[in-house]
Amino acid sequence: MNRTVLLVGIVISAVLVGILSVGLGKNPNEIRSPLIGKPAPSFALKEVGTGRTVDVADFKGKPVVVNFWATWCGPCWEEHPVLVANARMMQPNVQFLGVVFQDTEEKILSFLQQRGSAYPTVVDEKGKTAIAYGVGGVPETFFIDRNGVIVAKYNGPMNADAIRAHLDKVMR
Amino acid sequence: MIASLGRILILASLLASAAGALIGFYAGRTRSAEGLQWARRFAYFYALLIIGATMLMVYALLAHDFSVSYVAQVGSRAIPTWVTIVSLWSSLEGSILFWGFVLGAYIAAATFFTRGQYAEYQPDAIGVWLACAAFFSFLIAGPANPFLTVPNPPLDGPGPNPLLQNHILMAIHPPFLYLGYVGMTIPFGFACAALIKGRLGHGILKPLRESLMLPWIFLSLAIMLGGWWAYEVLGWGGYWAWDPVENASLLPWLTATAALHSIMVVERRGILKGWTITLVQASFLLVLLGTFMTRSGVFNSVHSFTQSAIGPTILGFLGVSLVFSVALLAFRIDKLESEGNIEGAASREAMFLVNNLLFVLLTFTVLIGTVFPLVVEAVNGKQMSVGRPYFDSMVVPIGAALLFILGVGPALPWGRASREQVKKALLPPIAGAVLFAALGYVANIRNGWTLLTLAFGGYAAYVTFAQMFLPMLQRMKRGDGAGTAFVDAQLVRGRRRFASYLVHGAVVICVIAIAVSSTMRQTTELHFTKGQTQQASGHAVTFLGIEERQEPHRLSTIARFSVAREGKEVAVLEPRMNQYQMMREPIGSPDVHTTAGGDYYIALSNIDTAAQTVSITVFASPLVVWIWISVVFMGLSALFGLVPSRRRAAVAVREAMPDATPETA
Repeated sequence: MNRTVLLVGIVISAVLVGILSVGLGKNPNEIRSPLIGKPAPSFALKEVGTGRTVDVADFKGKPVVVNFWATWCGPCWEEHPVLVANARMMQPNVQFLGVVFQDTEEKILSFLQQRGSAYPTVVDEKGKTAIAYGVGGVPETFFIDRNGVIVAKYNGPMNADAIRAHLDKVMR
Repeated sequence: MIASLGRILILASLLASAAGALIGFYAGRTRSAEGLQWARRFAYFYALLIIGATMLMVYALLAHDFSVSYVAQVGSRAIPTWVTIVSLWSSLEGSILFWGFVLGAYIAAATFFTRGQYAEYQPDAIGVWLACAAFFSFLIAGPANPFLTVPNPPLDGPGPNPLLQNHILMAIHPPFLYLGYVGMTIPFGFACAALIKGRLGHGILKPLRESLMLPWIFLSLAIMLGGWWAYEVLGWGGYWAWDPVENASLLPWLTATAALHSIMVVERRGILKGWTITLVQASFLLVLLGTFMTRSGVFNSVHSFTQSAIGPTILGFLGVSLVFSVALLAFRIDKLESEGNIEGAASREAMFLVNNLLFVLLTFTVLIGTVFPLVVEAVNGKQMSVGRPYFDSMVVPIGAALLFILGVGPALPWGRASREQVKKALLPPIAGAVLFAALGYVANIRNGWTLLTLAFGGYAAYVTFAQMFLPMLQRMKRGDGAGTAFVDAQLVRGRRRFASYLVHGAVVICVIAIAVSSTMRQTTELHFTKGQTQQASGHAVTFLGIEERQEPHRLSTIARFSVAREGKEVAVLEPRMNQYQMMREPIGSPDVHTTAGGDYYIALSNIDTAAQTVSITVFASPLVVWIWISVVFMGLSALFGLVPSRRRAAVAVREAMPDATPETA
């Protein structure tokens, strides 16, 4: 018997099966963020195009949808028209806000010009805001209620149903 | 009625495969010839039952028998017949049944082709195949049963996932993927049988190699077809997104490619036996991992089916297979005696080893990138995704190194080589490297990795071409005519060798096309009103207008564009939005004008029928079409190499009969 093979094999198998079993029975789109129930971290980021400084706290008093995305992310392209359509429908009762990271302003601008925009987009140049929100990948979306408290987080591209279901939570 | 008959067939296939597996292992242990005969009969019987069950499902789908649960779930009277047939694998239960069908066909074929040969290994191999078959029959009979009876059948069904109806490639990609995935069961069986017997003799190498090569061909084509489909349908101009499920199809391909190479080292030198067996087993285990990833709902992907009860069952089977493989390896690997050593660093076999290590490194890189989000989640409960930057920065250097080895390896001789020999082998191909890199530079390529890829590709192309025709040139030196030399040295005797260099040539083209098309892609976003003309990537694009077309199962909104180059119209492109009955959001479909030099690709991002305005993204990507062509060529070449040489078989027979006339060349 070859003990090395046995040992290495058992370790790899146990780790792999262990990791995979953790993921079972969970919806990969549902996020258990430690930030849920906490106030949304504030920031001061430059708006694309205008250069105006925007903070999520500026919108206190109405629910806010903060969408983290980037132009290099395929699923974000998929999600963009859905977000824009819903923003056009729901604003001004709900404020939508896009936060782009690991990207250049030039690319974002041309993306928005061609694909339409209905709400402010800010650039997170150093990625600090993404870190503060615990963003692991794009797209990710946070739903913040009137009092500036994070109510829900969604991972991955949203469809119309997902947006509406989550908006119901923050509108209440 | 059909539902009950289907359930009976599935249960019978479960019994047949389980019984056959037990008999196979028993026959392997007792070396009973009669036991082997019975194991073979059960293998055929299993294949008959599961293929029958699948045919029954196809019949139910075509007959729109909505009392069968799967038909009620994916069938629809409104869809074309080809979509109805495709819907067999469009949803979870049907896809597992289709898996069983392919497995049945493979097992029957493997049992048939091994008749009268490899008696030492055959019973255990059949045992392993049928044990896997029993598991899938269990899945079909239990957690993923497509043959449940619907008490009050509906009059019509919803039809399959619209993404699958959107393009004909969706009818081709899944079957190829299944042929690739499921086929890995056969070499896995041979590898396990070799371990059980504790011997990897020369006899078993041929079936091991050939049974690995066939699914490898299908898997290569499936991966390409998946990329092509994504390119033609998803509208983001690319063909590979490092989606977990794309990675899942790549992982077994990487280990299988490594194994196909290390088998050659076993053949030539009698070394790397345990390593080869491990790679073959890993290919099968990674197939199970891939199946788990697509069928469990653990990963977030275009390919994911909704969460299902079969996730834990597949994970259980993966766990059992892992334990079985590891235990077999640990107890038997030391019995596979090595017959030699690697003699020098600058030798063919050393390069094979480097190639293998790089492939395994690549496998781990992709595997870690794929499961890392789950690791993070397991450790601190946070969820994340690993993006393109990780994969690109890790995979590109390893890929470049592999391309380098693809050039250097075949240039070096087997065994020990003198310094002079090494120099003579390695220096001339540098001309190819310089030529390709210079061509790239002239064509305005400035990306360092792309230029490096071109240089390595040029080197490899030189070596491949020189090696490819070496046997023919040797024959011609001995005075044979070019025609005879070509037929005999390349197509008949040296067929396998010739085929493998053709595959290498195709790989060089493919890698260059991937590197150039992904780094040289130009993206332009444009907004049009009707009749307007704008320039993008050297072409004038004119928006001709919007047209709506109603088909039974969908409503298409089509934007028509005329694409002209130097004043001449080269194509009319019609990207569209397809609105399917059962979906709220429309699905965009880009349109592509393909030429040998590059693709001109228009994707709709916004369409306003009332105002007759559209927003589009234009992608101009050079050489894309060569990716598809080269992979098809690669598959065909490998297939050509698999065709048994009739002459070689005839020679073997003559050698067995001493009084036959000697061969005349």
